[in-house]
Amino acid sequence: MKIELVYPEKTKQALQRSRVLRIIRWPFLLAAYLCPILNLYFGGDAWSVVVLWGLWMVWSLLISPDLVEYNRISQTVKLMEYTCVLLILIDVCFSQGWAVDVVFIVLFSSLIVAAALFFTDLNKQKQNMLPMMLFIAVSLAASIVGLTLWKGRVLWPALLAGILALALAAACFSVLGRDFLLEFKKRFHTK
Amino acid sequence: MRKKELSAFQNYRLSLPNEDYEALSAFLTEYHQHNFLSGNEKALMRADFENALLKYASLGVPLGTALERLSIAHLGGFYARPSLRWFALDNAAKIYPFSMAHGRMAVFRLSVYLREAVIPEFLQIALTFTIKRFPSFATTVKKGFFWHYLDTAKRRYSVEPEASMPCRPLKVAESGSQSFRVLHYQNRISVEFFHILTDGFGGMVFLKTLLAEYLRLLGVDTEKGDGTLDIDETPLPCELTNEFALVPKAQKASGFVDKTALQMSGKLSRQKPCRVLHLKMDSAVLKQAAEGYNATVTTYLLALIFIAAKHATDETEGVLNVQVPVNMRKFYPSDTLRNFSMYCGIKLPIGRIADAQSVVGEIAAQLAKKASLDAMQQMVTATERLVGGLRMIPLPVKTPVVKLVNSILSDKVFSTTLSNLGVVALPPEAEKYVESMDFVLGAAVANRASCAMVTFGSTTTLSVTKGTPDPSFEEKLYALLLADGVPSVVEGSALYED
Repeated sequence: MKIELVYPEKTKQALQRSRVLRIIRWPFLLAAYLCPILNLYFGGDAWSVVVLWGLWMVWSLLISPDLVEYNRISQTVKLMEYTCVLLILIDVCFSQGWAVDVVFIVLFSSLIVAAALFFTDLNKQKQNMLPMMLFIAVSLAASIVGLTLWKGRVLWPALLAGILALALAAACFSVLGRDFLLEFKKRFHTK
Repeated sequence: MRKKELSAFQNYRLSLPNEDYEALSAFLTEYHQHNFLSGNEKALMRADFENALLKYASLGVPLGTALERLSIAHLGGFYARPSLRWFALDNAAKIYPFSMAHGRMAVFRLSVYLREAVIPEFLQIALTFTIKRFPSFATTVKKGFFWHYLDTAKRRYSVEPEASMPCRPLKVAESGSQSFRVLHYQNRISVEFFHILTDGFGGMVFLKTLLAEYLRLLGVDTEKGDGTLDIDETPLPCELTNEFALVPKAQKASGFVDKTALQMSGKLSRQKPCRVLHLKMDSAVLKQAAEGYNATVTTYLLALIFIAAKHATDETEGVLNVQVPVNMRKFYPSDTLRNFSMYCGIKLPIGRIADAQSVVGEIAAQLAKKASLDAMQQMVTATERLVGGLRMIPLPVKTPVVKLVNSILSDKVFSTTLSNLGVVALPPEAEKYVESMDFVLGAAVANRASCAMVTFGSTTTLSVTKGTPDPSFEEKLYALLLADGVPSVVEGSALYED
């Protein structure tokens, strides 16, 4: 069977992500298996939980990023959310008590960053509203939970995160107007 | 101070006589009034028009004629209005975002081979004019809270020179990214679609319309209709509907879950597809050979595919299952350009496969039963129920579950696929500029080969997408056809294996 070539000649291909994933998967899996085993064997603080979460963060943010909805808002929000979980894990596993304040500081700082990214390129970024709205909802919920659970404590970062979340939601609504409702309709459709 | 060097277009413009200069200035002013894209996109599109004008000049086409062909009126209001439309995915498309992985995507490709080399400058303009007629294609994939959806993306949709393997995954992650690509190579125009947008029928309408527009820019006016749309017409609502919702529900729902099928034995390649082959045959001779077995062309080719697949596996027990897509439009006439196809599986125990004569009867009987209206209604009902069941589950919850189920089943239920787009007709004025067409399926996960075919004029092209370097399957297929008096010219890519 004689084959006439009618496609471009094979060129040296850039290293494809799928190939990188195949190669890098093994050290990651090895680390993910070894850490809990070593942690259990030697005892002590549950450091392997922090390592596992760290591995997952690197994997999902850098090595195998999202295939849909990969934009500056979604990735910033994802990084911040993952960082908050990491901080909580470090707090729970090692020295307790400090994460309450730090997580809320990270939350309200992230809200400021997300708002800056959103409003500086409004026309394009309005298509990326969902990750930010979800982040606003999470921040608001976290703020309410924080203020309820630590009633006696002066928790200004939680209060600030809650106020910022509300303000950002209101700003989105007033700036986008009809587009805000349209985005909401698209994002929450069940058809 | 050094004077800034003028571009080729500026030089051309300055060289024009006064009257032409004025006409060109008016044309460019009109362009700016019709385009409100962002600065960079607008500049790129203007450069497209400038390149097309320079090309016309180099071909000796008078400026008046060139401006008439490139008339800005063909842009309509598409690039002047903000993006408001969005499209919920049709029932068949809903699975595709879940089945994506890095390096893997459900892509198919349609190509047309012209008698002369493609002029990229005109192809770009043809796409710029054509895309507005296909609003569900001028979209980008987005994540909702419950489902993915298609959001309109107003941008310059670009054509690219072909430089890689066919059907490689599209990058749809970023907002505004294209879910299809238009490629050109020598005398071939190809469009590769993410299956989320459309099926083979819708894809062919797009290709035919793009081709008609390209030919118009070359000065060949073609009649519209019969799958070629008028690009200046307003898109019809019936072209954008999810027709699955209109199919009456069956009492029974079935058709999804099945046992895993035998696979060919070749080692799976890392690069997918690792090769694409086209077996070009005389359609009359092929039909005659099929009639020799008292079978249709699809049944006959299925028989050969079963024999070739048996030849390409070392297994001696088990069932070969060939997936056959079924165009639902044959049961429910529809103009929708969205997905409106289902599929069935034709199964034969490997031990019973000997020669074509011994299996055509069984294949024909299975095709009649499994690709029937009843069977398709049952499958549509099963899809509806599945989609309905998942409707209110948030995407982050259903994604891992659907991905897991998909990775277990994937295409292991089938051994291979045969998708037949049938006979494609073009307007008579366009026919003489076209040599042939082909239809290529993207590489499957576990299947070592996938077959697709299309007939244009007197040529039937059977394309084989390979997922293994093992050539047994296609060599046997070629030999079987030859033995039945159907010689084929084989074209394709080199073997891409890392």
